[in-house]
Amino acid sequence: MNETSVGIADVSKSYGRTRALDGVTLDLGRGITGLLGPNGAGKTTLLRIVATVLAPDAGRLRILGHDPADADGRVAIRRRLGYLPQEPGFHPNFTAFEFVDYVAILKEMTSRRARHDEVRRVLSLVGLDSVSGRKIRALSGGMRKRVGLAQALLGRPDLLVLDEPTAGLDPEQRLRFRELLSGLAEDRTVLLSTHQTEDVAALGQRVVVLHEGALRFDGTTRELADHARGRVWLADSREPGARLSWRTGDGRHRNIGDAPPGAELVEPSIEDAYLFLVGEQAAAVAV
Amino acid sequence: MTWHADASLLARYAAGSIDDARASSVEAHLVACADCRQAVATTVDTTRLDAIWAEVTDTVDAPRPRLVERFLRRIGVRDHVARLLAATPSLRLSWLLAMTASLVFVAAAASEGSRQPVLFLVVAPLLPVAGVAGAFASAFDPTYELATAAPMSNVRLLLLRAAAVMATTTLLAGLAAFALPVLDWTAAAWLLPSLGLTLASLALATWLTPEAAAGAVAAAWIAVVVASAGAADDRLAAFHAAGQVGCVVAVAVSALVLVRRRAALEVRRAL
Repeated sequence: MNETSVGIADVSKSYGRTRALDGVTLDLGRGITGLLGPNGAGKTTLLRIVATVLAPDAGRLRILGHDPADADGRVAIRRRLGYLPQEPGFHPNFTAFEFVDYVAILKEMTSRRARHDEVRRVLSLVGLDSVSGRKIRALSGGMRKRVGLAQALLGRPDLLVLDEPTAGLDPEQRLRFRELLSGLAEDRTVLLSTHQTEDVAALGQRVVVLHEGALRFDGTTRELADHARGRVWLADSREPGARLSWRTGDGRHRNIGDAPPGAELVEPSIEDAYLFLVGEQAAAVAV
Repeated sequence: MTWHADASLLARYAAGSIDDARASSVEAHLVACADCRQAVATTVDTTRLDAIWAEVTDTVDAPRPRLVERFLRRIGVRDHVARLLAATPSLRLSWLLAMTASLVFVAAAASEGSRQPVLFLVVAPLLPVAGVAGAFASAFDPTYELATAAPMSNVRLLLLRAAAVMATTTLLAGLAAFALPVLDWTAAAWLLPSLGLTLASLALATWLTPEAAAGAVAAAWIAVVVASAGAADDRLAAFHAAGQVGCVVAVAVSALVLVRRRAALEVRRAL
């Protein structure tokens, strides 16, 4: 692991009686880290804390060498941060160009010419240069997502925090997004959340599984799949030892759990391992 | 063509170091004279030419500023600040709300017929309070989370917006005051309360959400006006000297609280 960009130590956050994060400890270096977890797992809360939008109730944070609790440190982090919230919020009357330009001003780019050049650069990166003059309300969901991504790339940030960046993208757009992100991640830290196990399979050198506010797994995608090795088997029906089981396209049942002796074990996928980790709650969402 | 521009003149023209009048006469000559065009071509600094070309394409490509933005630039506001003010949706919404509300109470004040415009004096200071809350409450600003994560100080953004909202509402309330039946001291008695209440709502917003802060300030204001009117047997009691001094104190205390607790506006406890 190279130099640590984000250090999260024992971080907790509650909303009233709901404990969204419970003592999460995590270090992030260069490259892509995929944050996987069912709805309500605490992913968005964790990303908001790393993006310095939300203050944790307890724990220590070190982001790009600064403490976000300190006013100067926070500004220093924000200068090197690109953030895509789950719902970035657009004014529908803005054109794509105006919206990204507006965020560029919030990012302290005060020189008009340089700013406009940068706005054009990021819009072109996400493939939206041809529609930059179109109003956001006239853009499709996938295009809006890309406008959101474009603003996150302004100023070539060292840390990219992306909350469900692939939600709402069609398969081709998702592929292009993964390509773009892989290129970007070579020299920066990318933390992204997703529901899609195939996203982390395709992107993540590293995957973190969050469930009920706690860290359930942290390792490579291969290690995650290995987690379910010997625990995934095919059978003609749901078997008693299966924690989860579903009927696949060919009519057989894919079982995850404690395999009986002589079971027809198969190579586990990341999705199998994820489901094994987070159990039935996730199964309801992801399967 | 019997004459040519001399080399030093062409060089200074190419460097942009001669005045506009001489530059136009050189340009007029260049249009007609191929020799001089050729001569100037060798002296032009390509970096400068690229910069000019980039400026031209940017001006042609960039979206035309909105009406409000053009107005703000005209009165001397810097272009990126004008964009922040004019392109901030919440501000535009709050302006709209404030203006509509203003017009409503102009009508109310004008048709009331009372010689003591209590309603006008109670409502006028609440307009900027509502406008400022609308300018930075998460419910109104769709880009609120993005703005929080951006390096530009949220307090600076908030104060910019608050100042714009206050200027607009003050202007509107000032105009509306002309519609009052009698133009005496009461026509200006809302000014200090206006400033005091707005600052108080901003100071309170370091603890509460902007909406809750505005609501609390409005409720307290109405309670003070009603209570003082009852106690002094004068409907305008809150607007006399003691009340105005109270507003000055509110301005000072709120400003102090805002300065000391400004960090609370930079990060959120909950979203």
